[in-house]
Amino acid sequence: MGVVMPLNAETAQARTHQVVNEDSTDIALFVRSSQDDMIGWNRQRIVDALLRETFLDRGTAEKISRDIEVTIQAGKVKTITGPLIREMVNAKLLEMGLEEARRMHTRLGVPLYDVDQLLVQHNKENANVPHGPEATNLTLAEGIKKEYALLQVFTPDVADAHLSGDLHLHDLGFIDRPYCSGQSLEYIKKFGLNLPHALSMAKPAKHAEVLLAHMVKFAASLQSHFAGAIGWDAINLFYAPYLEELDDNGVKQLAQMMIYEFSQQAVARGGQAIFSDVNIYWEVPKHFVDVPAIGPGGVYTGKTYGEYEKQAQRFAWALFEVYKEGDAAGRPFFFPKPLVHITEKFFKTEGHMDFLHHICEVASVKGNTYFVFDRGDTAKISECCRLSFKLEASDLEDAKQPWKMRYSALQNITINLPRLAFKAKGDDSVLFQLLTEKLQLAAKAHGQKKKFIERLMSLGKGGPLSLLAMDLDGEPYLKLHKCSYLIGMVGLNELIRVHLGEELHDSEESIKFGLKVIAHMNIVCNKLAESLDMKFVLEQTPAESTAFRFAKLDLAHFNEEAEKVVQGNREKGEVYYSNSTLFNVGANMSPIARVEKEGLFHPLIEAGSITHIWLGEAQPDKEALATFVINVFKYTQNDQIAFSPEFTACLECGKTSRGLSEACPYCQSKNVDGITRITGYFTKISSWNKGKLGELHDRYRNMDRFNN
Amino acid sequence: MPQPQAFGSCNLEACLPPIKGFLETSFIDWPGKLCAILFVGGCNFRCPFCHNHPLVLAPEGMETIPFEEIMDRLAARKNWLAGVCISGGEPTLSPGLPKMITRLKAEGWAIKLDTNGTRPEVLAQLLGDNLLDMVAMDVKAPLVRDKYERCAGGPVNLEAIQESIDLLSRSGIPHEFRMTIAPGLHTEEDIVAWIKQFDRARSRLSLQNFNPKTTLDILYEKEQGFSQEIFSRFAAMVA
Repeated sequence: MGVVMPLNAETAQARTHQVVNEDSTDIALFVRSSQDDMIGWNRQRIVDALLRETFLDRGTAEKISRDIEVTIQAGKVKTITGPLIREMVNAKLLEMGLEEARRMHTRLGVPLYDVDQLLVQHNKENANVPHGPEATNLTLAEGIKKEYALLQVFTPDVADAHLSGDLHLHDLGFIDRPYCSGQSLEYIKKFGLNLPHALSMAKPAKHAEVLLAHMVKFAASLQSHFAGAIGWDAINLFYAPYLEELDDNGVKQLAQMMIYEFSQQAVARGGQAIFSDVNIYWEVPKHFVDVPAIGPGGVYTGKTYGEYEKQAQRFAWALFEVYKEGDAAGRPFFFPKPLVHITEKFFKTEGHMDFLHHICEVASVKGNTYFVFDRGDTAKISECCRLSFKLEASDLEDAKQPWKMRYSALQNITINLPRLAFKAKGDDSVLFQLLTEKLQLAAKAHGQKKKFIERLMSLGKGGPLSLLAMDLDGEPYLKLHKCSYLIGMVGLNELIRVHLGEELHDSEESIKFGLKVIAHMNIVCNKLAESLDMKFVLEQTPAESTAFRFAKLDLAHFNEEAEKVVQGNREKGEVYYSNSTLFNVGANMSPIARVEKEGLFHPLIEAGSITHIWLGEAQPDKEALATFVINVFKYTQNDQIAFSPEFTACLECGKTSRGLSEACPYCQSKNVDGITRITGYFTKISSWNKGKLGELHDRYRNMDRFNN
Repeated sequence: MPQPQAFGSCNLEACLPPIKGFLETSFIDWPGKLCAILFVGGCNFRCPFCHNHPLVLAPEGMETIPFEEIMDRLAARKNWLAGVCISGGEPTLSPGLPKMITRLKAEGWAIKLDTNGTRPEVLAQLLGDNLLDMVAMDVKAPLVRDKYERCAGGPVNLEAIQESIDLLSRSGIPHEFRMTIAPGLHTEEDIVAWIKQFDRARSRLSLQNFNPKTTLDILYEKEQGFSQEIFSRFAAMVA
């Protein structure tokens, strides 16, 4: 009989308060022996674990441990391991009808077969995660944290709603981190790189290159504390005081370094590039004009940011020159994503038409540019696939000390809209009632995540979120009380199709009804926000894999109804729902109609929206694009647009060509990979999940000239 | 086939060129401008590499979009679009073309015409009446009979082509001569000779690479365009 030191090895994973208080380095300890007697076996350990981890009484625990001992002694098992004993105890608890105790005593882990598959096969849930040892580490850790979250952080009703696909709790594998972060470069300009537990501390940078090094490292530390995007506000403006010493070549060199640093940072968490966004302004945003500028060494330069307009513009221009060239193989850079803010002031700033043509050329040639529209007095910082934080009065007060400007969304939850329509069976009242219930459930789930993060944050600088507790400016880096809680949606188009029998692009009535649905979501969010004192805001979920997951689950559980409305190719399993409030991607709509009509929904979706214009292989005229962008600003309510060209990257000759081809037009090799936007970012098509492949096939590319 | 009716007595729809396709927004068809495009059915060429061949071979089979519907859709986009591009097929074959353009002009639209230049008298009339703001003329090859006819897929009146080139060169309005090139049809010498036919101070030139997707002559779907490297070199010759 093998030797076991089982339960001791597992105590540390028991419950969170123990995880944080005890040394957890022996969690993975796994002892076995081939000796014939039970050296080291101690029945008492089963009792201890049951008493510590569950609410069982001592008598029951003793009885269970004795039963297990008998089973082991009677058995022919050669090797016994900790996990095996735990499984045996759990089976016993189940047999005795002690379900709650079993839940509390359960272990989280992965079947051997799954690990084997995982180490060999590519996980495609997130196209930004490559295949490799770091990526499999990430997937394994995410798997366990996800199970943990569903068992321990969320109540069973919330967990069930997630598992059944009523809603989707995003990034469960990152349960111990907030969702995303938007910030200002000023923080590291002022405080240097002074991170908790770092091996060394750096004073504020004196040179632009050093500032860049600090920025990249800070971004990497943030990536390991947030699930998703890391965004930077007005990046070209905040670099400006460091640029005076540089000639144009120097500025171009710096721009090149920044873009390569972020696009090649695939050495961090899970081998995943940092999902990074840089916000760029041609003008000096109104709220920064009179703000004293911080320069080399972290000291005030004596000038205001308003006086750095020309330097900031020089940097913005250089960044887009680099984007236009693309990487060494002529491919578009995937990160950092450049978000250019088009504002009223943009049009009053000298040189704006030249800059607009410049960024439109990049949009045409490589596709990188995101055009973010801030109309009237709106000011925003944008990140992720479309998320944006509208700056409120208190934020604009913070803008006087820009290092204080940092914004985070704690979690993102998406509602499966088509399923509500299946259940409502055409009845409006039922539909809206069901929607309200799901929103209430989402709010409840947000509250549970909030509580969990609060618990981790309460451990302060000695706890697991020390970076977020760091308070160099007198406040924790993560301002929990100001966090947003995102609520997204998938499949408005299919909801409408079930409920009204037609899609959003089919009629004005369907658009009107769609607006009613989203307006209802908005109102309920506001009411919940008021009653729970949490900031719930709607966002267009990027839904890279959720649009696929919901469609698959609905085909399984609501087959008869779902069959009629799911998009994509069912035979190939390439099924999906339309993302968020987007219209059918394949609908034959002119780009004007699409930005106009999709834009009707954008004012209702506070935390950000986007309209994609898929370009296929057509390379548009930069001036025509510029006209289009100006008109979107003037004549629509659309929040953000991006033009997405498609490319073929040859893995043989290394050249990049326009359009998706089966063979490289240079060397005819079939060893090629496609590149285009998956949801809100560029990536290789070979890494896409099946749902998005279905969508790619359906996308309308403004070329179908004879069927409308 | 419906009989063409006399100009004065017909109802408007019957006289107008048959519009077989409409693209509300194009970023590529009018240099520097956002425009809509109308596709007119029917053509007197049979270029083997043609992409719009249903318009050429079987326009009757395609539904005609009522002109009034087009006018309504355009009116809704008045703020957005800088003009309307009339393409085909070959629009100058339709006797109602001047009338259609006049109607569009009356609504304030700038007009670009795509033509193969086989009807210089129509071109002259449109230019004379100030109905055009931009013209793009396909000149399929250097003006040498066998070469040109091979590219156009049938007999060609080269004098008419030359007359159209001269008309446009002297017109004083923005215009472009363009050629779609394919390895089996055009050599480098052809391209050099083609360029020499034009006064580059007056006329803009452009080359398009043959794209083997859905061509008129299906044999051409097996052909390749010029490689990117070679095409870039040719394109630089006209830039």
